[in-house]
Formats: sequence, structure tokens, C-alpha cells
Amino acid sequence: MERFDAIVIGAGHAGCESALALARTGNKTLLLTISLDAVAFLACNPSIGGTSKGQLVSEVDALGGEMGVNADKTAIQIRMLNRGKGPAVQSLRAQADKNLYHQEMKKTIEKEKNLYLRQGEAVDISLDKEDKIVTTSVGLKYVARALVFATGVYMESEIIIGKTREKTGPNGFKNSHGLSKSLEKLGVKLVRFKTGTPVRLHARSVDFSKMEVQKGDDEISTFSYLTKKPIENKAKCYLTYTTLETHEIIRNNLDKAPAISGEIVGIGPRYCPSIETKIVRFADKDRHQLFLEPEALDTQEMYLQGFSTSMPSEIQKEMVESVIGLEKAEIMRDAYAIEYDCIVPTQLNPTLELKTIKGLFFAGQINGTSGYEEAAAQGIIAGINANLYLKGKDLLVLKRNEAYIGVLIDDIVTKGTNEPYRMMTSRAEYRLLLRQDNADLRLTEIGRKVRLVNDERYQIFLEKKKKLKEIEKVLNVKVKLDARLVKFYEAHDENPPMESVRYRDMLKRVGITIFDIKSEFKILEEYDYNLLEKMNIQIKYEGYIKQQEEDIEKALANEKVKIPDDFDYDSVKGIRMEAIEKLKEIKPLNLGQASRISGVSPADISVLSILVKRNKHGN
Amino acid sequence: MENAIVSLSTPLGKGAIGIVRMSGKDVLKIALKIFHCKEKNIKSRFMYFGKLEVEKNVFEECLMVYFKTPFSYTGEDVVEFQIHGGVLLAQKVVERCLENGCRMAEAGEFSKRAFLNGKITLDKAEAIIGEINAESEGELNSSLKITNGKLGRMVEDEQKTLTELLAEIEVSFDYPENDYEEIVKDKVFLKVKEIQEKNQNLIEVSNSGKYLKNGINVALVGRANVGKSSVLNALLGEERAIVTNIEGTTRDSLTESFFHNGVKINLIDTAGIRETNDAVEKLGIEKSLESIKKADIVLFIHDASEKESEEEKEIAKKLKNKKVINVVNKIDKKRILAKLKDEVEISALEEKNINLLKNRIVSDVVSIDLNTFVLTNERHIQILKSADKLMKEVLLLKEESLDVIAMLLKKVWAELGKITGNTENEDIISLIFSKFCLGK
Repeated sequence: MERFDAIVIGAGHAGCESALALARTGNKTLLLTISLDAVAFLACNPSIGGTSKGQLVSEVDALGGEMGVNADKTAIQIRMLNRGKGPAVQSLRAQADKNLYHQEMKKTIEKEKNLYLRQGEAVDISLDKEDKIVTTSVGLKYVARALVFATGVYMESEIIIGKTREKTGPNGFKNSHGLSKSLEKLGVKLVRFKTGTPVRLHARSVDFSKMEVQKGDDEISTFSYLTKKPIENKAKCYLTYTTLETHEIIRNNLDKAPAISGEIVGIGPRYCPSIETKIVRFADKDRHQLFLEPEALDTQEMYLQGFSTSMPSEIQKEMVESVIGLEKAEIMRDAYAIEYDCIVPTQLNPTLELKTIKGLFFAGQINGTSGYEEAAAQGIIAGINANLYLKGKDLLVLKRNEAYIGVLIDDIVTKGTNEPYRMMTSRAEYRLLLRQDNADLRLTEIGRKVRLVNDERYQIFLEKKKKLKEIEKVLNVKVKLDARLVKFYEAHDENPPMESVRYRDMLKRVGITIFDIKSEFKILEEYDYNLLEKMNIQIKYEGYIKQQEEDIEKALANEKVKIPDDFDYDSVKGIRMEAIEKLKEIKPLNLGQASRISGVSPADISVLSILVKRNKHGN
Repeated sequence: MENAIVSLSTPLGKGAIGIVRMSGKDVLKIALKIFHCKEKNIKSRFMYFGKLEVEKNVFEECLMVYFKTPFSYTGEDVVEFQIHGGVLLAQKVVERCLENGCRMAEAGEFSKRAFLNGKITLDKAEAIIGEINAESEGELNSSLKITNGKLGRMVEDEQKTLTELLAEIEVSFDYPENDYEEIVKDKVFLKVKEIQEKNQNLIEVSNSGKYLKNGINVALVGRANVGKSSVLNALLGEERAIVTNIEGTTRDSLTESFFHNGVKINLIDTAGIRETNDAVEKLGIEKSLESIKKADIVLFIHDASEKESEEEKEIAKKLKNKKVINVVNKIDKKRILAKLKDEVEISALEEKNINLLKNRIVSDVVSIDLNTFVLTNERHIQILKSADKLMKEVLLLKEESLDVIAMLLKKVWAELGKITGNTENEDIISLIFSKFCLGK
């Protein structure tokens, strides 16, 4: 039986971050994967980021994670979404080269000195005091005090294509058999979720002339604060549409669609419906848009976004051929639905540790989430906390006002989820603070404190902070009121000021940006675009940012009132039964978390606050 | 010390006096912004007599007591105003405190603070819990009442419209590349304006808002020589009348006001009545017509000692769609006039039943509505007002980006949620998925 400090089961996007975080903080770590060819595999769409997910990637990066770096290395197109809608909702989205993404992450992991990557299928978990013992399908045993579960959608998974059901993992990889039972034996509650993926087509068979081209941005940003080389836009995506014929084919074959005929019992996400679900639910729409995205530069395979289905293979072919530009399309891989076991995430603390077993952490799709970015975000937190657990330190919880990661984890462990949980900007109440551009300012100090942020990253961060200070100083300089200043204001459709003004005051005008000031007054020329843009946002939105900070101040008061671990809810009088049941289930760490549980009213919280304080007074 | 809170400490409803209580940081400072008295140094646990500015240039006599921390009920700085009874006046005072930096106290919050500051012993904690629950329950019941009532439904409607608007904005943030028509700012503003108007209407419908602010407008009409001016004098009585000459005016539009049970009553267009010249009094009807239009209620003055005249029948026709009290004056004489509908018999000369008449004015205009929804909860009215303020702010932000607008609208949404109880963000997200066809 080989001993490690920590074991991570699963080398997907959560597992890789966990394992790297553990190894980089000095723990001898085993990363066990069902297939070495599935390390950091992009099983569905060949892209990283997107609204709010872009923020997650940069947050992982700011904490010292790998996803941002790896995405920058392997991106073949990049865009900033929502440019016109304000800084709070802008996010990066990249097309990633699926093959390179996997290879580069595998290389990084192989290079890490404390990290041991091993192919093998975990089939059983057992406990021996603090030790967790993992047994593989071939009878090998590994032991460690900390264990991270990051098994993704592999547990007891089944692929469904029409009438065909196969007990495999995604993309034909082997599934994981036995772990579910083992978890249940440890008292962990499971649910069955479902998701799906669309067809892959051969590029030579597509008539791109009938489609609209989608190119990358000219002004390029990166996910990682470490990336120095800009991303090159090497790939194009294409937009096309379904036709009435497509809808006709689907309607005629609904009895063969497992999702609709009731053969699939797993709960699928509302935000990612199959094409047949879309056509049933939105019957009045006469077309649906579809995107064709390249899977990688060294392959002809293309991903047809918007065309997820579990129809029989021969119907899939008919459906595809009815789409504009795909009349002669060659299908290389069928679309499929996949059902899998995951855990009820309310069994976890916001540290991602199981409430009932110390040192056992869960991260990624096994927690009922969906998406690579959501997985990586949990992975890094589970890794950080497994390390802190091993070192006997207080575990890390990111707050809702600090990171999308905080929102994501708080949501799933406090409210649970009825479907695979997807991050959305709409879920974050303080999104003006949780921007794509300031993830490092929010989190790098935290990453440094938990020793995951290395010297290189920290130096870059300090340097940037210094530069921002310098810029601020420059902007505080007053400009006297003269003809030039008046002209400058008028040129930007703004009423000229009545007296001399600081540069930063000019920025308060809607029509004037930091770049206008830069070119007119020949200042700040040594600073790069991203730094200036960040300062531009910070000053322009100062008032609103302050408003959010005041809201946070109020919210934090409750967050600071800790509820003791052993708080006896049963002896409580004055709180409604319904609320007590919920509180007992979730065991919130503090009043703030308690107040977010659905079914707990403000009056319940008021009473609880008194009881908690009375407890503290030792009565 | 925690932030200042305020509430009406005496029960809603009738009562000779009302007590408005504040507790927390800077309450004395807040109090002295609205309360004026001769004393320069306010000492703890002394009572001061002074004037409270209930609205601009309208003063109400009242008493103020200040309790310095820790010698107060809550253990914090506390200020109490003792004011004339009547809910509307009390609400007005609460509102002034809110304007000057307090927030509305939650159920049982004063007691909770008292407990947390060690002013109440541990064994009383259970009692406080009871209090919180009782008050919340009371609130819940009144919420239920308004849910069934018109106001409740209207707030729900308003929030629903806002939920839809938010869903439409949020979907454009979270799914920028889907093929629905993306919402544009012009449409957002149009919708916000619509919701804001609805909300404003709601504040007005909930009457108390309107009457609190402006008082009840009362017109006195009647044919010549029924004693309008003596009724007027009797109503004003010894109460210090507040006489105003409204904008740019002729003497004709003189308004004289007084408070009754905490409600301001405006006797409008009294110049004409005060005119002793017979010729002017004869112009009576035409003059009255205008004031009738402006009035919330009309006092139709009759002479008990005379039969109904043709002229009075004419006047009655003009009053068809108005709230009217038939005031039968001169009951010190022998009554000849036939019984009238909803009448009040008075004698201006002998000052008989004047108070009764005042009660009728208030109850006819306000109290009926009070029972249905007006006074449900002062917090609710404050919530609507704060939503109104936020939306007006939004409407000024035509140049601002959509994310900021969404942030403020979300605040409005959360405010209304305090009334409707719908505060789950998931409601908006659900609507996104049910309304828009999304996904990969």
C-alpha cells in the first residue's frame, strides 16, 4: 500500500487544478485517472470562458491555478463578449485547440515534481481513522490523509443514442463502476443528472459559403496575468440555422427521442436543452441558430453548437442534412446524451469538504455543476483546502463579494441544485466588483497567503499595483481651464467645465475615456492598454462600485456571526419547523449563509441571531 | 453603536398620543434636524417642549425625550417624540426620521438590541423571540391582507413586470450570442418609466401617501347666508390656523389649514367666504364650482331653519360625483329643513358638534381606505417610496451602461420583494429559461 499526502481521483478540469494546487504547496500527490488520454479533456465544446465563465478562469489564474495559462497557450481564437454593455458583464471567450489543451495540461502535470500521474480506475474508498484508502480495479491500494473526489460525469455513466444505451464514459472512454456504491456506504447521498453533446462533422463536407463567419477580436486580452505573448486568432467559427424541414424531421420522430419519451430519467439542464427539447418547448420559432466551431487545428472535426440530441443515429443524419450548408455533411461522431451519478452538494461545507468526513473533498461535475470552468474553480479550492487541512490550518472560503468562485460554491452548498449548475452573471449580486479585469486585485493576495501564488506571479502583481498607483497619481494632476480644454470637451460632446479640473474628473464624463485623455494631453504613454482600461473602469464606475461596497458592508455583518458546529437546532423554540429542518440539513457556518437558505425567513434569522449570541454567553 | 433605527412605538390606530422612537448612532443629531426648541443643551432623560417640522414650514407641537447610552431601553442613544395621536401624523414624523438618516426598525429590533446590549437578562430572551414572531406574524397577516387586496396585487404586478424586464436584460448579458432580439436601452427606459408610473400611482392610491403629504382638501359650499364663514371659523376654532397664499395668487385662493387627529385639513378657497360683501357672497355658486373640483371632500352647508331652496338643488346636482357631507348648521334654531342623507347637525354659533364634523371629514376621506389598505404597514409605503426614488434615478441614466442600470433595477426589484415576499433570484433565472430558447 503506497502512501501519499493527498490523492485526487479524476484528472479532468477539477482534478488537474486540485492536484496541481496540492503538489505546488508541497504535498506528495497522486493523480489517479481512468485514462491518461483523458487528462483535461474538453469532452464537449472546444472553448473556454464565456459570460461569467471567463471571470472564473481569471480567478483560478489569480489564485495560482493553471486553466488560464493553459487556455492562453492553446487558444486559437479569442473574443471579449458584451463589450457594449458595461464592464460588469464583459467576459472573455476563447476557442481552444482540444488536442493541444489536453497535451499541454498533461505536460504541465508531468513536469510538477511532487505530482504523480497514474492511470487506474478507483473502485472503492474506505476509511481508517484519518486515512483514506483508495482501491483500484486491479487491486492496487493507495492511502492518504486527504482525498479529493473529482470524478466528473464518469460514475456509473451511460451514453444514450436513440434506443442504444452503453455503460461508458464520455466520448467512448471507460466509465467508473463501484465508486457510487462506495460513497453511499459512507453515507453520501447521490442523484442522477444528465447532459449531452452535439455531433462532430468533417469540415470538407460543409458548405461554408452559406454561413456567416465569426472572427476573433482585434484588441486581444488574455485569461492569465502571466501570459506575455498575445493570442493569435487562427481559427474561424461559422453561424448557420436549422430549417423548417429540420423541425419537421424532429417532430416526426419525437417518439424515438429518449429525452422526450421518458426513457432518460436523469435531470438535464434548462440552459442546455437538446434540439428536440427546444423544438417542443419553443414551437413558434421557425429556426434556431447553430455555430460550427473547429475542434483543433490538426483535425477536420467540427463541433456543431446548438445541436445536442439523443435521437437515433440515422435520424441525426437526416436532421443534420436539413441544416443550411450541411446538406452533404459527414458525421464523424454521433451526438449523445449522458446520464451519471453525482452527489447532493448541500452535503458539503463551503470549503468543499464533506460535512461528515474530515479531509474528504469534492470538486467539479460530481457536485452537480456543469462546465469546465466551474469544475476548475472548485478544483483549485478543493486543492487549496485539502492542503490547509493537511497542514492543520483554517480552510479557505471565498465570499460572494470576492469571486464568482465564491458565488458558485455558496450557491451549490447552500441552495443545492436541481439540474447541472451553470455559472451565470445573473447569479452574482456584486458583479460590478467581480470583473474580468480585476480578478488578480481581488484574489492574488489570497492565493499568496495560501502559498499557491509563486514569486513570479506575485512580482507581476506587485508591479501592476505599483503602476496603477502611478497612473492614479498622474490622473490627479489639475489641468487649467483654457481654450484647449474647452475644445477637448466640446470635441467629445461634453459641456466644458467652469474651472480647472483634474484628469480623473474628466473621466467622470460619459463621452471621455482615459484613451482620449492620453492622446490629447500626451500623458500615460508608457502604460499598456489593459492597465489603462482597468483604471478607466475604476474611475468611471467609482460611484456605483461604492454603492456595491456599502451593500456588502451590510451583508457582511451577518456573515461575521458564526454558528457553532454543534448548535442544537432541536432545542430551539421560536423558529418554524420548516426552517429548522432546512437549517439542520445545511448546517450553515454563519448567519449570512443561513439567511440564503430557501425557506428560512428574516424572522427566523432574527431569532437565530439571538439564540446564537445567547449560546456564546454560555447559557 | 449600530445604525439608527426608527419606528412608531405606540400601536397603529386610535390613541391620544403617539410615540415615535429612534435608537442608535447619531439619533440626537437626527432629532435636532427636525425638532426645534429653545433649549440649546439637550440633557439626557429630560423632556423638552418644541416644534417638529412635519413638512416644510408646517410645525407640530410635540415633546422630545433623549436617553443617552447606556441609560436607555436599548442601551444605545435613544430619542422619543411624543406627538398628538393619529396615525398619519406619526407616519409623517417617522418619514422625516427616515429622510434624515434612520432606517425602519425590523420586527422586535428594539428589544433585540436591548438584549444584545445586556439591558434585558437572558431569561427574557424567550419573550423577545415571542415578540419578534408576534410582530412578524402581524406583518404576515397584514401582508396576506394586502395580497388579497388591491394594493398587494398591484405591487405583485409591478414586481412581475420588473422581473420580466430584468430577465430580458439579464439574458442579453448571459447569452449574448443567442438568436433572440436583444433588448435595447430605449426599450428599457420606456419600460422603467411605465413601471415607475405604476409605482407612483400605487403610492397615491395608498392614499396615506397623498394625504400625508398634502392633507385633505375641503371645500365649503352653500347658498348665501347659511353661515359658511361662521362654520369656517368654528372649524379653525382656537387651533392655530396655518394660512397660506398659494403661488401667485389672488386672495381668492386663500387656504387655511389645521390638524385634526394628526391629519392636516386644508380649507380651500376661503377668501371668498371671508369676504363680507354681500355681492361677492352672491357669486357663491360659480366660485364654489372651482373649489369643488380641487376638493377631496365637500362640506355642503345648509340652514336648519329654512326649507331646501331651488338653488340648493342646483348645487346638489353639481356635487354628484363628489364625496359630500351635508352639514346642517344653525340647529340652535328650530329645524324646518327635511332630513338629509349622511348629514351632520352642527351649530357654528354654539360650537356644537364641531369635533364630530372634523371626525367625519377624516373618516370619510381616509379611514375607509385605511381599513382596506392604506395603513397596512408604514414600512410598505416606505418601500414603495424608496423604489420610486431608485427608478427616478435610473431614468436619469440614459448615458450609462446597461450593467449599471440592471444593478439599480435589481435593487428596485429587491425592495418590492420585501412586500411581495418574492426575493429569490432564481425567479429571474427561471424566467430567462422559460422565455428564451437558449443553449448549446
